[in-house]
Amino acid sequence: MRLPKFMSGLCLVALGLAGPAQAAGDLLVAPTRVVLDGARGTEVILNNIDSETATYRVSLEVRRMNADGTLDEIAPEKATAAETQALNMITYAPRRIELAPNQPQAIRIGLRTPADLPDGEYRVHMLFRAIPTARSVTETQTTDTGLSIALTPIYGVTIPVIIRKGALKATASIGDARIDRSTGQPELALSLSREGNRSTYGRIRVLKPGKSTPVFEVRGVAVYPEVTKRAVSFPIDAQTAAQLAGPVTVQYLEDVDAGGRVIAETQTVIR
Amino acid sequence: MNIRTLKAVAAGSVLALGLVSGAANAATADGTARATILQQVTVTNTSDLQFGTVAIGTGGGAVTVATGGARTCATTLVCSGATTAAGFSVSGATGMNVAISVPGSVTLTETGGATMAATLTSSAASLTLAGTAADAFRVGGTLNVGASQAAGAYAGTFTVTVNYQ
Repeated sequence: MRLPKFMSGLCLVALGLAGPAQAAGDLLVAPTRVVLDGARGTEVILNNIDSETATYRVSLEVRRMNADGTLDEIAPEKATAAETQALNMITYAPRRIELAPNQPQAIRIGLRTPADLPDGEYRVHMLFRAIPTARSVTETQTTDTGLSIALTPIYGVTIPVIIRKGALKATASIGDARIDRSTGQPELALSLSREGNRSTYGRIRVLKPGKSTPVFEVRGVAVYPEVTKRAVSFPIDAQTAAQLAGPVTVQYLEDVDAGGRVIAETQTVIR
Repeated sequence: MNIRTLKAVAAGSVLALGLVSGAANAATADGTARATILQQVTVTNTSDLQFGTVAIGTGGGAVTVATGGARTCATTLVCSGATTAAGFSVSGATGMNVAISVPGSVTLTETGGATMAATLTSSAASLTLAGTAADAFRVGGTLNVGASQAAGAYAGTFTVTVNYQ
């Protein structure tokens, strides 16, 4: 008994003393957004793009959007009834996967909606991350008086899994479009206001009179139901900033595969 | 990079084939071939957050590694060794906007049980992917070393996520 305990103690010290670690756990996830509006589930692909075998964990978490568009993780005990309902409705497997390099794995996502579920939009975020592996000792350090520090990042990707039931509507409007130079790096900044009982999602583009192609376009911008207004800002280069100045049309459009509809449009002068 | 993209398409094709074959049973035989290419994202860790080695001189203090990698060491401490900020690169469909989450603080634990707090900062709260080397962010931090901090090896983990909307 004594010997194994002693040895495990040694190993722990070795973990802390490890020098620069090789990255392990690089990952690929596709698609980057899931919307379920019927009884059918779907699949998400996870691929190990690292050069070593890695173990990945898949989990569901509640995240809420802030007015600046960031997504904060919410502890399960602080979730609202609707957020807890969303967590309970999604089934998924497998949850822990060991993958050899370049080995893809499909994660099956199922939906289990209670018959009396109120109409609405429910959402969770699916987190894919690698479990850090024990580091090998690459150097020995004497730390008689000093402190050695090893901070291991656990990094991953979250994608939204959205469940919609019933006829849901949302409208949005664009405001305050401007070029913000307060941080040194010019940014195209604007605000998106949303009303209704579902989220909006799509791309933002800026058109100039006399130009057939947009002078600016960014995709994957959502306004979730927990916010009625959010700020959006995108760093731009000086050339784009010069192109944007003057009279413009700013549009917020659905993705082509969701209909391509214009959600909001405004004509303004950017300064 | 190209290899990764190709593999992403391959992974997408596997799924698309499954979906198409399912739909084919109900469809008339008009000979149309379809394939769905899924949007994908990859996240790669390019460097670790390294504070180097710290020794307590005349008292406690803070050691900061900026997101650029440069170290600021309190005059009460003796700092040595190379420092780097943690680096991550993201690749995905060009023009996609993603949010980045980094915890504000993390606790490091020494093998004997002593703890030390660190705060973390990210170089960006969101990224718009451009398909270039600029699709990356860095995480720096400040380590708060107590005046009577026990010597030893401190280890901790922090979770960084790239969040699609």
